[in-house]
Amino acid sequence: MNYLNQLSWSDARDLLRTWRDNNDRKSEEVLHLWKSVLEYNLNKLGGEKFSVLEQVCLAALDCYHIPTVDYCIKLLSNEFPSSLRVKKFYAMRLEAQECYDDALKVLDALIKKDETNNAPRKRKIAILKAQGRSVEAIKELVDYLKIFMADTEGWQELSDLYIAEQDFNKAAFCIEELILHNPHNHLLHQRYADIRYTQGGYDNLELARAYYCQALKLNPNNLRALYGVYLTSSNIASSPKCTANKKKESLKLTEWALSEIKNKYSTVKDKYTDSNLEDRLSITKFFI
Amino acid sequence: MPVSVFHRLILTAGFFSLFHAAYSAAQHRSYLRLNELEFTSLPIDILIQGVASLFVIMYGVLYIAGDFKEIKASAELENKTWETYKNIPSFYTFNHRGKAFSPQYIQPTSKLHIEEIE
Repeated sequence: MNYLNQLSWSDARDLLRTWRDNNDRKSEEVLHLWKSVLEYNLNKLGGEKFSVLEQVCLAALDCYHIPTVDYCIKLLSNEFPSSLRVKKFYAMRLEAQECYDDALKVLDALIKKDETNNAPRKRKIAILKAQGRSVEAIKELVDYLKIFMADTEGWQELSDLYIAEQDFNKAAFCIEELILHNPHNHLLHQRYADIRYTQGGYDNLELARAYYCQALKLNPNNLRALYGVYLTSSNIASSPKCTANKKKESLKLTEWALSEIKNKYSTVKDKYTDSNLEDRLSITKFFI
Repeated sequence: MPVSVFHRLILTAGFFSLFHAAYSAAQHRSYLRLNELEFTSLPIDILIQGVASLFVIMYGVLYIAGDFKEIKASAELENKTWETYKNIPSFYTFNHRGKAFSPQYIQPTSKLHIEEIE
C-alpha cells in the first residue's frame, strides 16, 4: 500500500471514485487513503464529500475501525439529521459489533417508517447471512424479491446463496433473471455457463458452451469464457452421448479455443517478459 | 479531448454568426413589408451564412461536449471482471476474519470458556 502515500488529495478522490463506481471492496486501502490524505481535505471535496464519507464509513465497518465509523456517522447525521440512509449506518455499526438483535430492532424501526425503502430489508438479510443462517436468508430474500422484483443486486445475492447451498438449478434461474435485465453483460453469461458447467451432464455442458460462446462474442477478451469454451467442448467431445458429427465440430472448437488462448498469452508475454520465470519453471520439470 | 480556448472561441463565433443571420433575415422581412413586396425566398448570402454557422457550431460542440461513448452496449463492461461485479455493498457482512486485525477488536471470551471446560 506504499503507493497510496504519495497521492495528492485530488488523485485520492479520483481513485475512491473509480473504486466506488466499480464496487471494489478495497476497505483497507480506502481507510488508508482516508487517514493519510482525505480526512484533512474533506471540505475540498465539495458535493462528493458525503459519498466519500459513506464509502469510508463502509470501509471502516469492514475493517472494524469503530472510531472512524463513529466520526463518519457523526458528520453525516449532522448534515442530514432525519435521513433513514444515515440511520442505516447505526444498524450496520451494531451489526459489526455483533449486536444483531439491537441492529434488527433499528432496522425494523426503519422499515416501519418507510416501507418502500429497500436498504434496511437488505441489511436484515445480510444479518442472517452473517449469522450463518443461509436457509433463512434465502427465504427472506425470496420474500424480498417478491416485493422488489427489479432489484438486480437481490437476484445476484440470491444466486450466490443458492450456490452456497449447492442448489445450482435455482442459482442458474437467478442468473437467467439477471441476463434478462442486462443482456449485454458478458460476465452474467459467463457466470451462467460456470454454473451449468459445475452441474455437469451432457445437456448442461452444451448449454454452458453456448453461453460461454455468447460471453466471448460480447467480449472477445474474456479469457475465462475462452477457457470455458475449451473445457466444455473437450468434455463434450469425450462424452459417449456425442454423435460423430458433433464430435468433429467440438474438436475443431477445442483447437480453436486453445490456439486463441495461446495467442492471448503470447501477446501478453511480450509485454511482461519474465525471463526468470522460465528458468524457475524449467526447474519444476525435474520434479515432475 | 481537452476543452481548449480555441474550440470555445469557435463555438462563440458560430453562435454569433447564427444570430447575425437570423437578425439579417428579420431585417429582410421588415424591408419587404415596408416596400410591400411579395416574399419568395431569403437572399442567398443569409442562407449560406446560416448553414455555414450551423456547421461551425457543430464542430465546436463536438469538441466541447466531451468524449464519445462507445456505440457497443457492452463496451463499458469490457474490462470488468466477475470479482468486482459480484461485490454488492448493500449485502456486505462484517463478521469475517479481517476483523481480527483491527486494534479495536477484542477477542470474544468463548475460546476461554472452552479451555476452562477442558
